[in-house]
Amino acid sequence: MTSETRQAPATATTAGRPRRRGGRFAALVVALAVAVVAATWLAVSIGAVHVALPQAWGIVADRLVPGLVPRTWTPVQAQIVWEFRLPRALLALLVGAGLAVVGAVLQALVRNPLADPFLLGVSSGASFGAVLVLILGASTLGGLSLSGAAFAGSLLALGLVYALAQRSGRLTPSRLVLAGVALAYLFQALYSFVLQQAQSGRAAQQVLFWLMGSLGGARWHMLPLPTVVLVGGLVYLLLQHRRLNALTAGEETAVSLGVNVARLRITLFVLTSLLVGVLVATSGAIAFVGLIVPHAARLLVGADHRRVLPVTALLGAAFLQLVDVAARTVNAPQELALSIVTALFGVPFFLWLLRRRSVDRAVTVA
Amino acid sequence: MMLDLRGVSVRLDGRPIVHEADLLVDASEFVALVGPNGCGKSTLLRTIYRALRPSAGLISVDGDDVHGLSWRESARRTAVVAQETPSELDFTVGEVVLMGRTPYERVPAADEERCARALDRVGLAGAEERVYATLSGGEKQRALIARALVQETPLLLLDEPTSHLDIRHQLEILHLVRELGVATLAVLHDLNQAAAFCDRLYVMSAGRVLAGGPPGQVLTPDLISEVYGVRAVHRTQLVFERFKEEP
Repeated sequence: MTSETRQAPATATTAGRPRRRGGRFAALVVALAVAVVAATWLAVSIGAVHVALPQAWGIVADRLVPGLVPRTWTPVQAQIVWEFRLPRALLALLVGAGLAVVGAVLQALVRNPLADPFLLGVSSGASFGAVLVLILGASTLGGLSLSGAAFAGSLLALGLVYALAQRSGRLTPSRLVLAGVALAYLFQALYSFVLQQAQSGRAAQQVLFWLMGSLGGARWHMLPLPTVVLVGGLVYLLLQHRRLNALTAGEETAVSLGVNVARLRITLFVLTSLLVGVLVATSGAIAFVGLIVPHAARLLVGADHRRVLPVTALLGAAFLQLVDVAARTVNAPQELALSIVTALFGVPFFLWLLRRRSVDRAVTVA
Repeated sequence: MMLDLRGVSVRLDGRPIVHEADLLVDASEFVALVGPNGCGKSTLLRTIYRALRPSAGLISVDGDDVHGLSWRESARRTAVVAQETPSELDFTVGEVVLMGRTPYERVPAADEERCARALDRVGLAGAEERVYATLSGGEKQRALIARALVQETPLLLLDEPTSHLDIRHQLEILHLVRELGVATLAVLHDLNQAAAFCDRLYVMSAGRVLAGGPPGQVLTPDLISEVYGVRAVHRTQLVFERFKEEP
């Protein structure tokens, strides 16, 4: 062999892409964490009733440790920040992080860069379940809660997409996208039907707004469940990052690398359905976050899930926080539905991605 | 015996694809599996690395029934270089190679060292940070062989490792695999290459293993006409060899 003559310095960077290990990753995580905190701080102080940044901080500190800082705010300001804006801002972080992580996992699971909870019909399924409960009442679904119905709907949708996209036991990307799009339309038709049948036009309108995504209903009691599911899910996924990487390289490759693919798949399907169900139940269906944020994260740190997952979560959280701030302020006092704002950011990014990478190749190759 | 197949049958969607295949690969032997398209050779290979389950028969690797082992344990015994390429996602070469350590506990420094050595061995030294998707076909195949190397298995399975490669890269890959000294079973398309590189070969046709043995004994004109429906003629032919590289 002539390996000696070929040997290059082990640190050579040959493809014009900077090294992306260790230090740079840690710096990026810290920077994103700072961005998340800054965006949240901003979100808490902005609104119809203005609260200066230091005051917003003071109100939160005062609630946590009474008497820590001198009170320079009115009781109304304190109430608005603590009762409404802070839970809303925290929910924005949870939903943004959760939807983005679900997108990243689905993209690995089905090996398709276009996969996201919306495109695969999962969000529509969850919305259908939630709409049934909202319009017809919990009793029609055997007493299922809103989260429970949304979860059941998302699991049903994901299961159907998965079953329809199989051919001889293998997933084909083109069938997957087609099945997902078709099911999304089916569930949209179903919940539109339920909405039309609804007695009160006002209730239907509220539901419709909620279907486009809104964090307006956020209250403290809504936070624990999504927090537990998201943190638990993220920890599990991080522990599985090597298996996720192997799965991304292909089902059979994963098998040959010692991954119990059948079990991992089912776990990931249940986990993503649970996350989408819980999140949709709190905030409605918010489009594009799950599609674009993981791609942005991969542009920053590459494809290794050990780095992709935390960066995706932080990026998603910061992104949705800013989206919600924009939704509240651009057309004040009217609020925009979140999907409108995410689409305004998302579509240009997506088109740019389409130009940059051959996404079409991934769709057409069966 | 490193790989021992006895009476292995495989069905796909209820259709029988492989019938009662018997096949042996000894330690450090290079064995080729040839046959016309659709004869079941890839299916048989996939059954050995557990992408499929046999409907009958026994597959043992290093003495144990693979389908009775844990997924992890079977991946510590058998590495695969299949045609399937990693996805659109931008893994680096280093990340692709390190996937070979999935069935083991991660030991960062030692694993980086293994990765560097494997890449050096396949002629891709220092390529860790390159993006896999930007490699040429031959380089991708070599990176996948490096991944199989860090998996440190006694058995290596190759599914048409030279398809889509030009003649120079085909020879490079086959030389490389031969020099590894690991028990290897390779599905090959080109009979001349199979004959030139393997210690023994098996011929499959319509789901059955028809013959096995040294290429000179197995690849008779009669058998080839029976299996492929073509007439085989011995004649002086162009022989391709790698240039020896200058030191």
